[in-house]
Parts: sequence; C-alpha cells; structure tokens
Amino acid sequence: MKNLEIEFTINNEKRRLSVKPNDLLINIIRNDLFLTGSKYGCGIGECGACTVLINGEPVLSCLTLAATVDGKEITTIEGLAKGNDLHPMQIAFLKNAAVQCGFCTPSMILTATALLKENPNPTEDEIRDYMRSNICRCTGYIQIVKAIEECAHGEKTN
Amino acid sequence: MNQFKYISPKTKEKALKILKEERVNACIVAGSTNVLPDIKVKKLSPKILVDITAIEELRGVDKKKDKICIRPLTTIAELINSELILKEGKILIQAAQEFADPLVRNNATIGGNLVTASPAADIAVPLLTLDALIKIESIKDKREVKLKDFFLGPGKTVLQDDEMIVGIEFEQSDINKNGYFIKLGQRKAMAIAITSVAVNLDVRQNKIIRIRVAAGSVAPMPIRLTVVEEFLENKEINNELIEEATNKVSEEVNPISDIRASVEYRRYVSGILFKRAFNKLT
Repeated sequence: MKNLEIEFTINNEKRRLSVKPNDLLINIIRNDLFLTGSKYGCGIGECGACTVLINGEPVLSCLTLAATVDGKEITTIEGLAKGNDLHPMQIAFLKNAAVQCGFCTPSMILTATALLKENPNPTEDEIRDYMRSNICRCTGYIQIVKAIEECAHGEKTN
Repeated sequence: MNQFKYISPKTKEKALKILKEERVNACIVAGSTNVLPDIKVKKLSPKILVDITAIEELRGVDKKKDKICIRPLTTIAELINSELILKEGKILIQAAQEFADPLVRNNATIGGNLVTASPAADIAVPLLTLDALIKIESIKDKREVKLKDFFLGPGKTVLQDDEMIVGIEFEQSDINKNGYFIKLGQRKAMAIAITSVAVNLDVRQNKIIRIRVAAGSVAPMPIRLTVVEEFLENKEINNELIEEATNKVSEEVNPISDIRASVEYRRYVSGILFKRAFNKLT
C-alpha cells in the first residue's frame, strides 16, 4: 500500500513522516520517534496505557491511525516537563509515591492534566470517575487520586 | 494488522461516491474505537478505509423548527457537553455519561454507535425512547428510517453498502424532555450493559398520556417494548399498575444467556430497572 506523508507537531516540535495507512499512532510514537513513555498495553482501548493528548484532548493512541493526525498537535509524557522542571502533576505523583511499576504512570499523568484543564476543582468522586479510563495493574489508585487532589488543591494540612 | 488503503474525503458527496464505487470493499471509519479492534482481530477486513472525520457538515448538534438534529460525527463527549441536548433530550446525556470511559468518548461517535448495531448499544436505547429518525443518504438517494426499524440483528442494520447516516433527528416535545436511563453493568468503566432500560414519559394529573420504553442487551438488537407501552397508555398511575407493568417488561424482553448474565436474570432485572426509571419520572 502507498505510504502517506503526514505533518504534525509533537511536544512542540514539527515532524514530517511517511507512514503506512495501517500504522497505529502508538507504534509511530514509540518506534519511529523513540518516545517510549507511551505504552502499548491491551491494544483494544480498554487499559488506557497508550494515552496521548491530541489537540489537548486525551485519546487512545492504540486506536488512532497515524494517518489521522496530519495537521494535529500531539503531547506525550515527554512533552510535559520544561527542561529539568517537571510538570506540577509529575511532582505531585512523585511526592505521593503514585508510582509502583510505572507502566501506567505516563498515561495517568496525561489524563490527570486533561481532567484539571476541564475541571480545575474536582472532587474525589469526579477524579475517580474521570480516571476510570486508565487502569493501574498494581492497583495503586489511592496514591494516584491523592496526587491529583494535591495538584488541584495543594497539599492537605491534616 | 491487515493492510488497507486510507482515504479522507472532505465532502459528503466525495465519500458517497467512494461508497458507490467500492461497495463492500470500503469501510467508513470515524472514531475508530470499534473498527480498529475489529480489523485487528480480522472481524473486518476492508480494502479501503474511508475516514469521514474531515467532513465538517456531518458534525454537530442543532435545532431546526421543532426538530433536534444530531449529525453522525458528533462524539459522545460532545453530546455530554451539548446544552441543546440537555434541554431537549436529557436522557441521551445520561446514557453518554455511562458510555465506555472518558477517553473512548472523545473519539467514539453517535453514528458509529448506531451502525455498529450492538444489542447493548448505550446510545441507541435512549434514542429509541426519543423516537429518533435516522436520515440516510447514498449518492443517488435520500431516505428516512425510524430507529426502531433501523436494526436488523447483531451488527446488522438496514444500511446498504453505498449508504451512510447523515443525521439523527428527534422532536422537541414534552415527552422527550422527561426521560430516564439506567444501565446495569458489572462495573462502571468500559462495562458492556447486562441490561439497560430507557423510559420517556408524558404524564398529566397522574394519568399516563404517552410512554415509550426501550431496552438494551435483552434481544438481538436494542428494542422498544410496545406491549408495555400500549398497556400503560391512558391509565391512572398506581402501585398495582406499576407492578403489572414491571412483570410485562420481564415478559416482553427476549434475552439470551451469555458470559454477562442468564436469561432469567436479564428478564427479572429489566423489570426492576423499568420500575426504577419509571419511579424517577413520576
């Protein structure tokens, strides 16, 4: 099949790539651009490990054809920190030990930033409801929810 | 994954022309949350994938006179945020909030949910009680089909190879404003409904003027429960009536046993869900 030429921005960098019609975005990001923070988990849109932001919205890159991101803006976990300065959500995850094996962490952090953009003051229920897109196989959900709460509301004093 | 050609037409006419020429070789794709998993497991093997997401005229929700029109590319997330839908058909928003998870909702479209024709389709059940009309076009023809006549069986609809959905319409009316949807799943995220029930009701001075009841995962396709509807219309609401209607719901549904639940459980729980939804509305 004929390759397609696509141009997109990823983590504020313009890229031009030649992709096959059936290339999945997750594979392009990992294998061609070597941004391995995004993970290939279930491959059918159940686990959320492949989450990236496209035009600011969290989507599943394992269910996105690379051909469809022509002209779009993508953010992966690698694009959140500014140089050595981590994103506040990354700091909150670190401080709350919201990481066990780390496989789901990039996707958790990206989805959490999208949540706070939509809803800057979420309740615990709203956090849990939104974060249901992303599965943590180590089941460290309590720390993840705490980290997001802290990032949104600041550290709790009690 | 199988190979295919990828085309992204910018207009409806161009897309319909491709469908006309390629027929079964072509597969329309929008959110791709169903199509790509199906291609991966070889349930679908299209030669050409026609990505319609660039066709702007197929996106969005609006109102013309007393009709609300949802175009097929509207995502489930966009439905949730639509003030027009909140005002005219809130039951759709309830279903959209139960739909898969927030990430899938950013891509999955209302048109895709209907053409997938799953017996458990979350959006189809409340659209049935809104008495929705499906607008269909091919390059040479236009037609309208009531949603209750749109599904033929699991994965099957009345759509021909060269046709696509161009709009989903329902009326601005009192009954459409007053609806309630309940989905029973094994957990909150990504659960396929064990049973789902939608009720829309127009009630005046304790008398049922009009009622529409629909259910998902209890038949080869999402269905309207017309026996129950006819039984309830023009009756005064009282406890015995509701109990009788609850039993009639359990009788009218036609479920199968599968990995999610048994026939007996589905029959029983459809009645219970109906009763809960009905009580929310009165």
